[in-house]
Amino acid sequence: MKTLIKKKNGEILTENIIFIILNLVFLSILVVFLFSRTSTAAVFEEKYAKQIALALDSAEPGMTIYLEMKDAIKIAKKNSINLENVISIRDNLVTVRLRDGEGYSYSFFNNAQVTARFDTESEEKYFFVIDKK
Amino acid sequence: MNKKGDKLISVYWFAVLFIVAAAIVYMVHAFYGKPYDVRPIEADILISKIARCLSETGHIKEGVFEENFKENFRGICKLNFRVEDVYGWREQEQYYVEIEILKFDSTESVLFLEDGNKQLRDFCGRDEKNFPRCLERSLYSLDKDGNSYKINLVSIVRKTEKNVY
Repeated sequence: MKTLIKKKNGEILTENIIFIILNLVFLSILVVFLFSRTSTAAVFEEKYAKQIALALDSAEPGMTIYLEMKDAIKIAKKNSINLENVISIRDNLVTVRLRDGEGYSYSFFNNAQVTARFDTESEEKYFFVIDKK
Repeated sequence: MNKKGDKLISVYWFAVLFIVAAAIVYMVHAFYGKPYDVRPIEADILISKIARCLSETGHIKEGVFEENFKENFRGICKLNFRVEDVYGWREQEQYYVEIEILKFDSTESVLFLEDGNKQLRDFCGRDEKNFPRCLERSLYSLDKDGNSYKINLVSIVRKTEKNVY
């Protein structure tokens, strides 16, 4: 009788552990999926290109804008992209490139001379110098 | 019997988990699969920039009523409507700006200026996802003689392909 109860208890424990492990595995896969979808190079390229374009639209000559891009820099490093080439500004077009390919471009309407530079001191920021054209 | 019931519950539990996962996958795809729509902010910045170009500290800037202002509007207000060469955007301008300055007491129009793609004007007041974003604002200003004016501004940004899925 005692052995029977022990066996039953053991079975319940094993079943519960398997059940919990499966749930954890399931939830982990879900979390990994969420992170992989929300922090892809394509999402960051678009986000930063648009953010920079909007910041430059409202900028005035003489300003210097600093933008922290830690997360994007991490992805660029992972994809072996030269950090000096992550942001390029030609005429009034901002291009952000965090992987092989053309990157994402977005135009701004502010007719100013803009120079984008990587902040080598902090290594997690870019800054934009706005001058008159 | 109890064991059967437990197994049944775990089957339902996994069914629930599967439904939750499917819902999350759908929501993530729906949210991150679409581009960020920044056109309302862009239209807002454009209208503010034009307002600052026309009026400063409540007074209309010198030269606004001169003929040269109309001809050289983009240069004076430091605007550049050149866009990226995709989706045929270069052939069809993606911005439209309208300025109307009225005398405050008589509503007589003193200045009317429109620049950019005039076809976009028809979309104002039609608030649909795939339509260009239109923004209208008004402000009051004085000239150097103390006469008051109402300035009506309209800014429209198209760029639909890069902002709406």
